[in-house]
Amino acid sequence: MIRDGMIRDGMTRAGRGALAPLLLGLALAVLSLPEVAGFVVRILGLQAGTPVPAGRLAWLARQHLVLALAGFALAGGAGLALGILATRAAGASLRATLDTLAAAAQAAPPVVIVALALPVLGFGAPPILLALAAYGLMPVMRGTVGALATVPDDVRRAATALGLTPAQTLLRVELPLAAGPILEALRVVLVLAVATAAIGALAGAQTLGTPIVVGLQNQNTLALVQGAAAAAALAFLADAAWLAAAAGVGRLLRR
Amino acid sequence: MTPSVPVRPAAWLPTALAALAVASLAGLPFLTLAPNRLVPGSPVGCGLSGAAAGMLAVAAAWLLAGPGRPGRAGIALAVSLAAWGALLLGAGRAAADLVAGQPPAARAALGSGAWLAGLALAGLVAESARAALPRRGGFVAVLLLVGLSTLAGLADFLDALSLAVEYRARAASIGTAFVQHLGLAGASLALALVVAGPLALLHLRGGPASRLADGLLNGIQVVPALALFAALVAGLSALLALVPALRSVGLAAIGPTPAVIGTAAYLGLPLVRGLAAGLAGVDPDVLAAARAMGLTPRQVLLRVRLPLGAPVLIGALRVAAVQSIGLATLGGLVGAGGLGAVVFEGMAQFAQDLILLGALPVIGLALAVDAGLALLTGARIAGETA
Repeated sequence: MIRDGMIRDGMTRAGRGALAPLLLGLALAVLSLPEVAGFVVRILGLQAGTPVPAGRLAWLARQHLVLALAGFALAGGAGLALGILATRAAGASLRATLDTLAAAAQAAPPVVIVALALPVLGFGAPPILLALAAYGLMPVMRGTVGALATVPDDVRRAATALGLTPAQTLLRVELPLAAGPILEALRVVLVLAVATAAIGALAGAQTLGTPIVVGLQNQNTLALVQGAAAAAALAFLADAAWLAAAAGVGRLLRR
Repeated sequence: MTPSVPVRPAAWLPTALAALAVASLAGLPFLTLAPNRLVPGSPVGCGLSGAAAGMLAVAAAWLLAGPGRPGRAGIALAVSLAAWGALLLGAGRAAADLVAGQPPAARAALGSGAWLAGLALAGLVAESARAALPRRGGFVAVLLLVGLSTLAGLADFLDALSLAVEYRARAASIGTAFVQHLGLAGASLALALVVAGPLALLHLRGGPASRLADGLLNGIQVVPALALFAALVAGLSALLALVPALRSVGLAAIGPTPAVIGTAAYLGLPLVRGLAAGLAGVDPDVLAAARAMGLTPRQVLLRVRLPLGAPVLIGALRVAAVQSIGLATLGGLVGAGGLGAVVFEGMAQFAQDLILLGALPVIGLALAVDAGLALLTGARIAGETA
């Protein structure tokens, strides 16, 4: 019960925490509009190139979000499953191996995975999806293992004594008790995925990184500023959305 | 639920690795032969040495699956290393046979079968080493694998492989890029440390300024690295347009400046957190005793907090150092050179070998730095602190 209350408190605090990323995200989104970005670039005394139209930017943002969410689903699902597996008695022997593998995956930054996957998977979305899955796996898995380890053994034994099957113990006792840290790990990986998806532009995926890469190649500072502001805006807005949703769920639970 | 016995590697893992090695050697292209370095090649199957590597892998897995006696694990290590050697020599010899009599531009590259089998065999070597030497197994395995491959390379056994041909054509520029990469990562780490020290002390003191700094460091983590590097290019060129005198100090909108600042920005959070946790983690009784002995706050910091917090500090340094090597790769996009520039050139040409020549050293450097700093903390390699 005490633990339950702590999670809810954490969630309402998270609700207040959503305001800063929301405002920052909205401000950056406004900055990415062609007129605003053009004005700022001229004020700064830089030569502006061809702007990216607002409609194209919105389309890129949608593509970007779809890619990031797909990568998040891959990393989150696999990380959660492996984390649960590693804390079961049958999978305990897997833990050292999974840790080593996850650490090795972390040593290859997303941009390197995208580059290595390019000749094998070709241009487009697949390389960045692979990179997002590989990079997000470890934080989710570590978070899940760590959160499940905080559930006291007494609680588990009590659940068994009450006649719950292992699956019921996991779903009704362990996961609810460990929900706070697991959700926090998922939030980190969601934001990581939205931020990292920009790299996909290097392998020809259409994301908000595309105007940045094109801007760097053609020395089009305007497109570069627009892309950078829009990509950062999307990451902050994703953070705010998750925090607000967590706060909403917390309020529902308290009722 | 939490096992009290030390966690042993999964019993079925060596078998699965050996099966993967055999399947990829038998079913996937071992090498590919292409008329030049840019077009995809036609697949070629593995020969006798590939079959030998597969059989040795099965033997090693059989040795590991049996009852755990120390001698058996040692033999398994030797056998799995022999499998790795057979794979290397087989690939080198087969490539030499393939390109013999072909036009000089022809390339024999490692195929997906050889790469997958190599990964599986490396895993098998690591599992055997861990069974033989539970504490330092991973480190020993990496040393043995890298050592054996380097020996094979130095003895000219691998010369005909496409990767080696590409390396010979670009050895000088790859060497320069490697040194540049180390410079970028090192400079970023140094810059981040200089900034993180005072911020960690501020964090310990608390107050609105510390909350602002923490919020800022947290916020930077949300910004996409590509966006931050791009924003730094734009921001620096605006700054230099305003104050041209800064150019004489060596600042530039393109080149190492945005890369080092951008990389350092991401290292701030792990370093400040680690520094603050390390400094704050000291037992209050110890601090009280130190003060009672008449130590000044400065002496408490230097003689008590820093030495006692060292393991946490080095752990944070390890995370930051590995990140700096990865992030410095993006420096190639803003004209800072480094291994990233090699990777991006390879991507632009769609040249697999050039991408590998840039990417493999980045991964190797990150793993080496991670393992080196892990040894320094006395922690085991298998990601205990992170």
